[in-house]
Amino acid sequence: MQRPVSSLGLSPSVKVKLVNSGLQFTADLLHLKPLQLSKDTGLSQQEALEVLQAVKTDGGGDEARGGRVPASLTALELLQQEEEMRSIVTFSSQLDAALGGGIPVGKSTEICGVPGVGKTQLCLQLSVDVQVPQSFGGVGGQVIYIDTEGSFLVQRVIDMATAAVKHCSLLVEDDEQRVAMTTFTIENILSNIFLVRCHDYVELLAELHLLPDFLSDHPKSRLLVIDSVACLFRQFDDLSLRTRLLHSLTQQLIAMATRHHIAVVITNQMTTRLRGSHSQLVPAFGESWGHAPTIRLLLQWAGSRRMVAIYKSPCQMDATIQYQITSEGFRDADQPEQSQSKRPRTHTDQ
Amino acid sequence: MFPENGGPRKVHLIASILCGNVCICNTGVCVSGKTELLYHFLCRCILPQAAGGLETDVMFVDTDYSLDMLRLVGILDSRLNRDEAALYSCLSRLLVVHCSSTSHLLLTLHFLETSLASRPSLSFLLIDSISAFYWPDRCEGGASIAKQEEKLGKCSDLLGRLLRDYRITVFATCHAIRSCRPSSAAASTESDRPYLCRPWQRLVTHRLLCSQQEVADNMTVAVGQQVFTVHCTSSFSTRTKAYRSNSFYVLDGGVTFI
Amino acid sequence: MVVLREGMCPGLDENVVRDLRAADIKTVEDLVSSDIEELALKCSLSYKTLFAIRRVLLAQHAAFPVSGADLYEELLSSTAILSTGNPSLDKLLDSGLYTGEITELSGGPGSGKSQVCFGVAVHVSYHLKQSVIYIDTTGGLTASRLLQMLQTETSNTEEQMEALQRIHIFRLFDVFSLLDCLYSLRSGRLQQASVGGGSVKAVIVDSVSAVISPVLGGKQNEGMSLMIQVAGALKTMAKDFNVAVLVTNHVTRSDNGEVRPGLGVSWSHIPRTRVLLERVEGAGSVSCSSFRSATLIKSSRQVLPMALILMPSAVLIPSEEFC
Repeated sequence: MQRPVSSLGLSPSVKVKLVNSGLQFTADLLHLKPLQLSKDTGLSQQEALEVLQAVKTDGGGDEARGGRVPASLTALELLQQEEEMRSIVTFSSQLDAALGGGIPVGKSTEICGVPGVGKTQLCLQLSVDVQVPQSFGGVGGQVIYIDTEGSFLVQRVIDMATAAVKHCSLLVEDDEQRVAMTTFTIENILSNIFLVRCHDYVELLAELHLLPDFLSDHPKSRLLVIDSVACLFRQFDDLSLRTRLLHSLTQQLIAMATRHHIAVVITNQMTTRLRGSHSQLVPAFGESWGHAPTIRLLLQWAGSRRMVAIYKSPCQMDATIQYQITSEGFRDADQPEQSQSKRPRTHTDQ
Repeated sequence: MFPENGGPRKVHLIASILCGNVCICNTGVCVSGKTELLYHFLCRCILPQAAGGLETDVMFVDTDYSLDMLRLVGILDSRLNRDEAALYSCLSRLLVVHCSSTSHLLLTLHFLETSLASRPSLSFLLIDSISAFYWPDRCEGGASIAKQEEKLGKCSDLLGRLLRDYRITVFATCHAIRSCRPSSAAASTESDRPYLCRPWQRLVTHRLLCSQQEVADNMTVAVGQQVFTVHCTSSFSTRTKAYRSNSFYVLDGGVTFI
Repeated sequence: MVVLREGMCPGLDENVVRDLRAADIKTVEDLVSSDIEELALKCSLSYKTLFAIRRVLLAQHAAFPVSGADLYEELLSSTAILSTGNPSLDKLLDSGLYTGEITELSGGPGSGKSQVCFGVAVHVSYHLKQSVIYIDTTGGLTASRLLQMLQTETSNTEEQMEALQRIHIFRLFDVFSLLDCLYSLRSGRLQQASVGGGSVKAVIVDSVSAVISPVLGGKQNEGMSLMIQVAGALKTMAKDFNVAVLVTNHVTRSDNGEVRPGLGVSWSHIPRTRVLLERVEGAGSVSCSSFRSATLIKSSRQVLPMALILMPSAVLIPSEEFC
């Protein structure tokens, strides 16, 4: 079966020139030299070279193999990969349990909620938690934190870091952990958070474009936070452009999460949807954006209590858990009654 | 047009189909009864005369990889009272070709031309769908509309010649590319507007438009049954136009006109 | 369009190609569309030669007609119906997924599309002992979930591992990678994936809309064309290799709150069967519902109106019964 030239990832104008010169299938290009191709089609030599490169990596659409053919793996291999990757704890043991260990590395998670319910608090908490050393069951990674609203508060991070360091220091049992604690300090925690401030969507898209290189240079990165995506895209006249940008942003994020083994956490606001007579609070950007995150957490108020619901997850059942925001950070709600449960899952795993 | 027991006003169209030189374009959105109508027509062609068919050969050009053989056999079976030998003889009157691009279609039609002379019983050409390569053609044509429409234009010219020289009948489906809101009449005319190139539009003598219909109280159909409507606009050489419409519903045995 | 080249067929030598070019006949299409008699005069070539060349080229490049009776015979011997592992869904689909066809699941976030895909993958690999190609474009595939589903089927670890090995995963995040993958599968990778397991019986793309949506709109021709390419590659793969293709699609909500599958009208003609999955929402909170409904919105086998089934989100565990 022949592959049409138009299915190659080349610029549309190049493809038009090829097809108009009667080169419809990749097989028609296989025997051509760049110079000849450029002469036949009116493409520049550079373009002709790129075309032949694309065809070659594709293997010409026939049995000639080699080059960049998408790699596959079996589910068994994926399972082994998943088992090697740890999740980032939230410091709410109930939420961790419901999520099967915490926020998974290699996936994207969306945190939705009304203002003030604790989205940013959870993001800051995760930025600290991702650095918990591996000897304590943590991920021991670095963070890229993209702040679009100016809501990143260093003092809050210091509070949470202080609590986390204290928590871990109480758990030290062996030499390895003792050594790890020498570098798990507030100062190091702050220096492992790479903060990026984006003021509009163009800046965000540019940043995401550069990020894969940054991630390659910082292989210890395990978490990317974008707080929030919504505020950059709220004022948008061309809705179809917005949808398209959001869709491609989604795919970029997922590709990064998968290839660089990072957890992607994005926050989103709530909006009101009218359904006949009753209205309902739903995450912003509608149905199609809802597919973007692999996992979707809804933070909601239930009276004066804060609740987090797992709204969408490929491997966990829907669940709703109560939590609270203390001076130390994101915690289980019923701490006083069950002191046991405040211990994060990290070390019950050990 | 299609009902076997159709009233007098439908006779004219059957007669004109039988004498050939007719190009029918059948348009509709998804789930509009369009495909069922195509199979209805196909069955009419290949069924034996004893079963109310025309017993002629049909070439089915499948550009969408959409021919649903199981469905076709289901309809034939119910018309033939599950007579397997008759079924196979019906199916042997059907020739299927798959085309993967407009130029492939063009070459195939040229090939068909050479075989038409030697196979006089072949008098029907079904194309499902003529719009299959609309987007790839537009993309490959670049900025020039003429270039975008060149290939389908050539196909249409050739089909015109086949219609004239061999007096065949062409029945083609054309997918809607815009959505229509059933509630708003203005939007629906927008979605019905022909979008394929002019040579093709000039070829079409009967335009059918299928749509799903709200079930009215006076209709004798089962509860919950979907009812479809087909509107037919015929243009004749005298530049006169005729309109008619029929409603039908779909059962296991195919289209049943109301 | 196919460019005329020497040696394509007997009689088409270097000189003939050059003479034809001079007469502005560059492609096979040009040649077959032109009047041979006129052309022979114009290029001072023999009518006989040109006529013979035209005939051979047509035979080479035109699609070959197959009798309906033969097609039906072939179909009877090759078509298989794959159970989705979910009795209610099977009933809705008239026994399950048909090989040679594209079936689409559409639904909003968290409506259970991926879960149904997982279920199909597990069912085909474990019960039918056949291979599955799973193309994940959203990062939603979790192998531990597949394992979880397998554990409800068997406690034999070896069988679980064997089943997992029959599921071949591609993780691709843009439309060109998807096309690369589909074309390479079609040109031999599909058979390779069969080695060491059963033959590939199902190809799952979860989701097709995730990679197509970013290219739609704007330069619309390009995006639509790519969408049709994806559709064509999937359809021919379904037919030629006799596999069941299952794709997922997102939904859009119209102004009056009506939910419909994404990717627009041109895509709506592509899947043979379409199922809409929805959360059955309780009043008030968005998060409290655990029921999903499945509605058949396009089918050539089931007489619509659409059947409706309800299933608790635990469908999702194949062994569990639901109404």
